[in-house]
Amino acid sequence: MGKVKKKGQAGQARNYMTRTQAVKKLQLSLPDFRKLCIWKGIYPREPRNRKKVSKSATASTTFYYTKDIQFLLHEPLLQKFREQKVLEKKISRALGRGDVSDAARLERNAARPDKTGKPRYTLNHVIRERYPTFADALRDLDDCLSMLFLFANLPATTAVPAKMIARCERLCLEFEHYLIASHSLRKSFLSIKGIYYQANIQGEDVLWLVPYKFNQRVVGDVDFRIMGTFVEFYMTLLGFVNYRLYTSIGLKYPPRFDQLKDEGGAELGAFSLEGANLATTETKAITNGEQGPDPKVQAEVDKLVQQLRDEEAAAAGETNGKAEESAPETANGDADEPNDTIDKFEPAAPGGDVLPQPAYSSSDPSQLFAGLTVFLSRETPRQPLEFLLRAFGCKRIGWDEVLGAGAFTHDESDPRITHQIVDRPVVRAAVAEDGDGEDNQTAQKLAANRRYPGRIYVQPQWVWDSVNDEELKSPEQYVPGAQLPPHLSPFVKPTQGQYDPTLPLEEQQTEAEAIEAALEDEGEAGSDEEVENDMDVAEDDEDEDDEEFDGVSEEEEEEDEEEEEDEDEEEETTLERQRELEAELTGKAVKREKVDPKTKAKLEAKKVLERRKKQEAEELERAKGMLSKKKRKLFEQMQYSNSKKSAEDAKLRQKRRKLEKEKAAAS
Amino acid sequence: MGSKSTDKKRKQVESDSESDNELANGLFDGVLSQSESDDDDYIASGDEDEDVDDSGSEDTEGTDDDEEEDENDDGFSSDEIPSDAEPEDEMDKLAKQQEELEITEPGVDPKPRKTEGKEERNYRIEKDANGGERYVYDEIDPVYDSDDTDFNEPTNTIGNIPLSFYDSYPHIGYDINGKKIMRPATGDALQSLLDSIEVPEGWTGLTDINTGNPLNLTKEELELVRRVQMGLLPEDVEDPYPDTVEWFTSVEEKMPLSAAPEPKRRFVPSKNEAKQIMKLVRAIREGRILPYKPPEERERELEEQEEQYFDLWQNEEPRAPNPMHIPAPKLPPPGYDLSYNPPEEYLPTKEEREEWEKEDPEDREKDYLPTKYDALRKVPAWGNFVKERFERCMDLYLAPRVRKNRLNIDPNSLLPKLPSPSELKPFPTVVQTIFRGHDGRVRSVAIDPTGVALATGGDDGTVRIWELLTGRQVWSVKLSSDEPVNTVRWRPTKDAFILAAAAGEDIFLMVPTHASVTPALDQASRDILAAGFGYATNGQQQQLPPGKEPPGKWSRPGTKLEDEGVLIKITVRSTVKVINWHRRGDHFCTVSPRGQRSSVAIHTLSKHLTQIPFRKLAGLAQTAAFHPLRPMFFVATQRTIRCYDLQKLELVKIVQPGAKWISSFDIHPGGDNLIVGSYDKRLLWHDLDLSNRPYKTMRFHGEAIRQVRYHKGGLPLFADASDDGTLQIFHGKVPNDQLENPTIVPVKMLKGHKVVSKLGVLDIDWHPREPWCVSAGADGTARLWM
Repeated sequence: MGKVKKKGQAGQARNYMTRTQAVKKLQLSLPDFRKLCIWKGIYPREPRNRKKVSKSATASTTFYYTKDIQFLLHEPLLQKFREQKVLEKKISRALGRGDVSDAARLERNAARPDKTGKPRYTLNHVIRERYPTFADALRDLDDCLSMLFLFANLPATTAVPAKMIARCERLCLEFEHYLIASHSLRKSFLSIKGIYYQANIQGEDVLWLVPYKFNQRVVGDVDFRIMGTFVEFYMTLLGFVNYRLYTSIGLKYPPRFDQLKDEGGAELGAFSLEGANLATTETKAITNGEQGPDPKVQAEVDKLVQQLRDEEAAAAGETNGKAEESAPETANGDADEPNDTIDKFEPAAPGGDVLPQPAYSSSDPSQLFAGLTVFLSRETPRQPLEFLLRAFGCKRIGWDEVLGAGAFTHDESDPRITHQIVDRPVVRAAVAEDGDGEDNQTAQKLAANRRYPGRIYVQPQWVWDSVNDEELKSPEQYVPGAQLPPHLSPFVKPTQGQYDPTLPLEEQQTEAEAIEAALEDEGEAGSDEEVENDMDVAEDDEDEDDEEFDGVSEEEEEEDEEEEEDEDEEEETTLERQRELEAELTGKAVKREKVDPKTKAKLEAKKVLERRKKQEAEELERAKGMLSKKKRKLFEQMQYSNSKKSAEDAKLRQKRRKLEKEKAAAS
Repeated sequence: MGSKSTDKKRKQVESDSESDNELANGLFDGVLSQSESDDDDYIASGDEDEDVDDSGSEDTEGTDDDEEEDENDDGFSSDEIPSDAEPEDEMDKLAKQQEELEITEPGVDPKPRKTEGKEERNYRIEKDANGGERYVYDEIDPVYDSDDTDFNEPTNTIGNIPLSFYDSYPHIGYDINGKKIMRPATGDALQSLLDSIEVPEGWTGLTDINTGNPLNLTKEELELVRRVQMGLLPEDVEDPYPDTVEWFTSVEEKMPLSAAPEPKRRFVPSKNEAKQIMKLVRAIREGRILPYKPPEERERELEEQEEQYFDLWQNEEPRAPNPMHIPAPKLPPPGYDLSYNPPEEYLPTKEEREEWEKEDPEDREKDYLPTKYDALRKVPAWGNFVKERFERCMDLYLAPRVRKNRLNIDPNSLLPKLPSPSELKPFPTVVQTIFRGHDGRVRSVAIDPTGVALATGGDDGTVRIWELLTGRQVWSVKLSSDEPVNTVRWRPTKDAFILAAAAGEDIFLMVPTHASVTPALDQASRDILAAGFGYATNGQQQQLPPGKEPPGKWSRPGTKLEDEGVLIKITVRSTVKVINWHRRGDHFCTVSPRGQRSSVAIHTLSKHLTQIPFRKLAGLAQTAAFHPLRPMFFVATQRTIRCYDLQKLELVKIVQPGAKWISSFDIHPGGDNLIVGSYDKRLLWHDLDLSNRPYKTMRFHGEAIRQVRYHKGGLPLFADASDDGTLQIFHGKVPNDQLENPTIVPVKMLKGHKVVSKLGVLDIDWHPREPWCVSAGADGTARLWM
């Protein structure tokens, strides 16, 4: 007989460790342990069998891998934590003695690591260890960016020092600069939570959320120490990532930072990129305020403006955006030159497999706004618009003075402006009267609703929709005061069978729904009686069904289509007979209903459909009966989630149908 | 001792007067020369009689006081004196002794005395008690210069009392030794008067308490007293704190005191200093010593140092992903409903909004309500932004991560491919005929091999024959008044029309009258049944040992029953529950579960013979059956089914369905498959070639399964009957190909029988050709399903 194995000596019991055990083993305080876990990316695990793992009577909540904790044991930061603890103890002891000068000395020494003071640490090695390759770091950038962008927008408190906020802001702006310089921003989305951005950096999709520029409200119990620990790590990470990104496109990191401009609220404009190879263009892009626009582009724009003015003179009000858009693009793109883009393969004959190809577009989306000069009105959010426009090639962005420094122009009347983004309601009546006098607080010399001829006025959503669709949207839908088209998330990937608001309803509704809808339409068109009759029929049907469920006449439904048809006829006749009988009983004359043949056909179809559905359901039941218990449960689970999703979709379709009908009725 | 006494003496003397001392001194001088010889003598003779003297003196004057002892000790040289001396005054005697002592003292060491003039010896040598030498030193006479500060002039010890108390005495007090201090002589009155007139030098009018003399103080002393009284320095000095005169100053003199030339080392650079400097230089170079900077600047620099970035991934090397590492899942991207301007159909209706608001924030499926803003400027800040980020942080570091495999498959792919219902047809779906007539439960049903007649047996003890399609009862016989008919079974061949029925311990074989039975057929049946009688009389059963009852007694049931058509009655030892015929119709087996050893019996019709094949059975026999093709025999006990080869007479196989209590089983007409019904609600399909264990287990019944039955006429159907009042019809196709598994599809659940006292359907039987089946219910009906 082998040795009797003791419980809790091997296997799962040894592989896992509760948090208390881990803290004890590392000889750390809980906050220090937390810090270490956050930085080193150690997280608790869910053991397969909690009972086998936990040795205590009380249920432990958090388990770590023993090997993870052993791994932490070798961390150099551990020593730093201990040193810090020792120092704190010394200071507190000095204070306890009332020896303030000694405490001050220790505190002072803390600033001097050479004098046995506060341990200084860096997280460089941790980052290298957690992300052995740069791609790994990029993959984990989502949370990092969301967090830093949030902290860049937080007010300074004791828990969040101003220095940290400033550093976050700087790092974020530097990152944005990289995106602008490398044209790697792909999509953006205005949500109710904030603005989502998606960039593709070296083949890795990074999605992050930036809050709207408001004072952030802190609700609930939020522990800023934990968040601070994360931010500390993320700041270091983003610093190194920025360095690598900047150097990868030949830029110097850190970029030159102009304190003066930053104080003026220039934000992105406070940085000037310096690089070996693209120094000239990039620095120009950043410092567009000082230098004039590119003369070539300017000439083009002037020409366009002239053209537009002419047009506007001809047809007042209506601006033709399309001509305007297409002009610069054709100017930029060379049609005949042999290019290295891939060719589109169209199937010559049906039958072959379709091979996926990368999206084919004639124009470079990164130069979407290249030819435009955009002016931002003072009510628009400057930061996201500036970032987005710059990232998609716009070089000349002006804004009102109240929005901060660093603009291409603060003068709204600048004739070079081609597009103006406004987000204010149209007040038609008051325009003429109080146009000139009142609005003195800003640089604007014109009334709020005064329009300059020769430029296109759009709402901010135009920028986002253009970016997401990779083409300049027609500005007619986005003129100020217009009902905007819905802003759709670019991150939703259409899947088969899922509701897609972009497609017409007819394409995606199920057969049953279509029939239902058609019937409803008919019902509405027809008289009330008919509807009632419909209801009767339906009820009768149900009665039949009930009987069938009793098992007496179930074979009917398993018969062939022809039979069914016959049966239907039979049913009809029996129904009629019944009606006659009822009429006799009540003493009324038999009311022959005139059923529209079309409606009748629809009803038939509905019935057929229902029958088929029922049949399918029964078949499913039978098949399910043959599954093992385990598989059946799995199947039911899947079925549950699927049906939930499809129910949601059905609800959406129903709502949309209703809305469409209302709209049709209104128009 | 001696010295002490002498000392006392001398003091006294001294105190008395100086003149006495002087006198004595003079006396001593004379004595000194005299005693020299005596001493010598004494030394010479001392050795001889010293001991004797001592002892003698001790003997005689042992009780004397110390004083006398001393006397003896001291008086070694004055032996004669005590004898000569008359009793005199004590004082005188003492004085004399003193004198003698004084005399003898210098005699102790006469030689030093001689040289006294030059150097004074301050000790004398005496003999101690043992006769050894002893140096006796003089009392130190402390003079003014003496170091002995304790010594004072004879001090009056009377304390702090006025001297006038002693006015009537000649003394004025006592000294330290208790001696009276005599009043000094005072002059007469005249003298005192004169004194009072002419104040002598230093007169104070005070009397020295110690001596009684008038206390005179000198001028200096008076001055001293005055100064002390005034609180001044006792001595009159001009400058009490004079400047120090720095004889040896710290001030370096300008002029060198030495005229030596400068040493070379003063001009050569110091090696030690160079070393020290190099140490500092090195420290600076290594950054251990930093130039001073204000703390703020230093702090800033340190921070900048922290923000030093470099290419961290310069020589990156991809690492194989740790299989145990679970990367944190990314947050899902926003959907359409999160838009600030979503399509209208995503906006919640009023009810949905209310429901959402009513729900607990933790239970909400989404933490937001889709909202539409018609302009971007109207979009407010998201209130939960910080909280959501915080929760994400908490999830990242505190949420246990588990890898969950999400099956991204179509759930329908899990379902087995079933033949379509049209392929499965035909099967019974509806009740066609209900056979009513039995009083109490119908226990057993059987359709005859031609498929026209139905036989039923029930609790009322009757066997009834029905027209199958019409449900008309054509024949009936009451077999027993008290016992129910447990089972009825037709003989499976068409050449005869014989029914076997069991009621209690009796098995009846009968030829019922039926429209389809031609007289020829009837006769043939009767012949078959009767053939055995002759055989029995031929004495086959006589082989049994005498006294042992045969396992089955074949007899005629009596004229009344015989008229009805019941021709043979076989009586066995216990109640028969199951009858099963062999396919040829010559044998049938019966099972009486309570029969113990004889529970399974095989009856041979042609020989009217009953045999017990098993001497012993493991477990209670439940049911038994013949193999449909081969000479094999199956017996089901509670848990297992045993398969015996009838030719080789051996156990072939033990089938273990795993059921707790087998109720019934049936063998597929092909012979390789078996279905087993059990009281624990399970229906089990066994592929006999495959395994002893069930191939499929079906649990579709809520109650015990009573009977299972294959369709024997070529249709792939089987059915079971359960206590829950239902029959379930299955499609069970056994492929011709050995490699393929049988397909089993549940097709129909036939409901109709009522459950009476927890019993539902008790028996079923299939029509020999058509997809029809008949069931026997506890509700007193039999039903035909087609």
